Amino acid sequence: MPFDTGRPEMTAEEFRLLRDFVYAYCGILVRDDMKYVMERRLWPRLEALGLTDFSTYYRYLRFDAQRRSELETAVEALTTHETYFFREPRQLKAFSEEVLPVLERRNARSRRLRIWSAGCSSGEEAYTVAMLLLESGRFEGWELEVHGTDISRRVLNAARLGEYGPSALRSTSADKLARYFVHVGPNRVRVRDDVRAMVSFGHHNLRDVDSVPLASRVDAVFCRNVLIYFDAPARQRVLRLLYDKLVPGGYLMLGHSENLINLSADFELVHLRGDLVYRRPEMGGGGGT
Amino acid sequence: MSEEGRNAEEVRYRALLDLDVSRPEAREELVTGLHDESWRVRRAAAEGLVRLPERGAVVERLIAVLGERDETGARNAAAESLAGMGASAVQPLVHLLGHADPDLRKFAADILGQLALPEAEGALVAVLLEDGDLNVRVAAAEALGRVGGRGAAFALERVLSNPEPLLRLSALESLAALRHPPPLADVVPLLNNPLLKRSAYRVLGLIERTEVVALVCRGLAASESRSTREAALVALGQHSARMADGARPAMYAAVGEALRRLLGAVSWVTSALESGDIEVKTGALVAAAALREPRLAPLVAEVAQEERLVPEVMRTLACFGPETGRELLASMDRLSFPAREAAGQVLVDMVDESFVPELVQMLDWGEVDLKGVAARALGRTGALEAVEPLAGFLSNPELAGVAARALVALSAGFRAQVLQVLQTSLEQGAQPVVLNALVRVGGTAQLPLVRRIAREASVPLRATAVEVLAAVDPSGGLELARVALVDEAPRVRAAAVRVLGQVGDVSLAPLLQRALSDDALEVRLAALEAVGECGAVALAEDLEALVRHPDGAIAFRAVRSLARLGVLRDEVIQHAVAHEDHEVVKAALLAGAASGGGEALALGLLGHAHWDVRAAAARVLADSREERLLPPLMNALLSETDALARRALVDAVERLSGR
Repeated sequence: MPFDTGRPEMTAEEFRLLRDFVYAYCGILVRDDMKYVMERRLWPRLEALGLTDFSTYYRYLRFDAQRRSELETAVEALTTHETYFFREPRQLKAFSEEVLPVLERRNARSRRLRIWSAGCSSGEEAYTVAMLLLESGRFEGWELEVHGTDISRRVLNAARLGEYGPSALRSTSADKLARYFVHVGPNRVRVRDDVRAMVSFGHHNLRDVDSVPLASRVDAVFCRNVLIYFDAPARQRVLRLLYDKLVPGGYLMLGHSENLINLSADFELVHLRGDLVYRRPEMGGGGGT
Repeated sequence: MSEEGRNAEEVRYRALLDLDVSRPEAREELVTGLHDESWRVRRAAAEGLVRLPERGAVVERLIAVLGERDETGARNAAAESLAGMGASAVQPLVHLLGHADPDLRKFAADILGQLALPEAEGALVAVLLEDGDLNVRVAAAEALGRVGGRGAAFALERVLSNPEPLLRLSALESLAALRHPPPLADVVPLLNNPLLKRSAYRVLGLIERTEVVALVCRGLAASESRSTREAALVALGQHSARMADGARPAMYAAVGEALRRLLGAVSWVTSALESGDIEVKTGALVAAAALREPRLAPLVAEVAQEERLVPEVMRTLACFGPETGRELLASMDRLSFPAREAAGQVLVDMVDESFVPELVQMLDWGEVDLKGVAARALGRTGALEAVEPLAGFLSNPELAGVAARALVALSAGFRAQVLQVLQTSLEQGAQPVVLNALVRVGGTAQLPLVRRIAREASVPLRATAVEVLAAVDPSGGLELARVALVDEAPRVRAAAVRVLGQVGDVSLAPLLQRALSDDALEVRLAALEAVGECGAVALAEDLEALVRHPDGAIAFRAVRSLARLGVLRDEVIQHAVAHEDHEVVKAALLAGAASGGGEALALGLLGHAHWDVRAAAARVLADSREERLLPPLMNALLSETDALARRALVDAVERLSGR
């Protein structure tokens, strides 16, 4: 059966030009097999701007007076990714039961804990981490901060709003739903205010190592399913940045299908009972120290 | 590892990272690092050796480490390092393929596979066909799957009849990796072999013969083995990916018949759709399209989480037919984001009048993306009841565009009602797109309202009004644009300048000259375009000066406008082709080609640093139809390494040589 969207097809050259341009801007690599995804995600932009083909759109991104904001919009469209509360529960369990006790001991004197959700999208992961900190019962009276960053300003607005529908809650148990959310509509909930108070959000392009909106180092970084958007050199740069922003002994959580093989030996692999995570070694004078 | 041990490891690791590779002792220090107990230190050593300048000597030293039988970690690290050495490692490793120790020969084959350089093909083929050790032959077969080449493919075909199943298995896998279809007769006997059938079905999927569908169906209907069915699914997915749309109905019919003979086919396809194996998933999509079971639709949509499968997901959902629309609609808010995207697009094509209540509900509670789907779909229902709910989104910046377009679609049946909601929402401060929609639906009767908005409304609405008015009433629009040229908002001035370009003439040159030096870049860029559009030749000199501007946006528009005016001088073209921005160069090339003298320009640009300039130059030369240009094109083809530029050159050569 023919499947015809009635939309202009992106030629190989248009794809390459757009892909290279986006890569130069933010280090995000759209793989060759994702031409269709690029075409589908950018088509609404052509429609909104009244453009008829992708060459014209490319020139718009390059040469129009609104090019900067349109480029951000295009990157937002290309990087919108799947996220929901309590995603990858095995890792979260290991984090709660094995990592948090270590961090509690390490930071007992400062009674301060800082966690970065890098590439936080619409905020589900950052709020999940905050909920895990509360759930652990270990940090009563501590200064707890979870900071979420993303390249998309639009998703950050959604993250700050903290309102979600059923799709975002498909892995959230009924008791957690009752404990950490309030209903704001028939199909909508909002993250409870005390959880939201622990979490802040900011705009950051991970490629831009000089503008991390985090003044001091963090005890753990969640960067799950974000590296997939970068090619190997960009991944190495991002990992270097994460290394620099972690305290020695701080933990790095990647997505369950991600690893650092052939990318970085800066981190050590930590075999927890329930999962594998990475850690910045205790010693060493690597960049940023 | 103790805390102390970890610290010592970190010190050794950092020391190797910071090692000065230009020091003469660096090589042996790194080789010592290859023998470290820590994998991190070994990795740092392996990477450090790749950075050393004397590659030949380093390769020899690494090959010596490969021979240290009791040093497993060091040997593996040396292999990793050799795999990073590129072409300089090929010949020494080819030499190692002749070593007496089969263990070293296997190492050599493995590393040559990782290097994946065609220079190793011949030696690996010889090892595959002649080596006395099975493990070495298997390693060669696997390596050839990465090295590739015609010789590799034919050699791999030859071992498909070898009595050693392991060798046949690696040959099948490599043929699959090379996407080289072996003869069908060689593959059919392997389809029943438990060890080989998965790989055999994979290559079966590469074979373009009509018999393949029947063989796949036989595998799908195999009641005794889930693994056989999954292997058949893999072949089905591969076969389908290459299939023309016209041939699909026959394939779906055959597959559907085979599946219906299978007890519990729907639940089996369900689990295949949820498989972690992307190849099984691909085949499961085809099976789902053949079954057309509406319950499968949400699961099919979820496969869109695998981005490369999105086209197949869309194709599959489109096969299901309209009855699936409600199934998708009901599950929409529980689907993952990629699934919603795919399902939403298909849903929009499926809706009719009866969907309005559910879609209106979705407009109420959905997240922004779902609301967008609902709005688009409502526009396709052709129902009066869709008008009012859409009106509620005309002041929402994220949804106004899609709601306005949906209303324009609905105006085909309900013009008066649509006009009413558009007018009302404009009174209440709607988004600029609504103004466009209003004029599109209401025509010139709306001009008084547009004029009023152009005087009184917000900046975005004022700017839009200026352009909208000119589109329906050129003389009135021009008059308004003159006034808008002194608006305090750059956005309004830019809109006015665009109008001058679109409906004005050369007499407006003084106004445009002023706009060319406006404080706002937005206005200057609009003026550059407008000069060319309205034929203001008097401003050619101003434009020529801007061709050298370092900002590509300015230079690009200056070149295009000069070309449009027909006054792009050769000297200016030469400045443009020297511009840093490759789009400026291409604009000059295309303008030069249109004005004659383009051949010399294109010939000169066949060696440009940017691939798309070279591709554009090839196209310009192809358009010339001059056979004498073949030799330089052939020369360029010989040295072209970029795939797209190469394709353009091949096309050009074929066109000029009449092939």
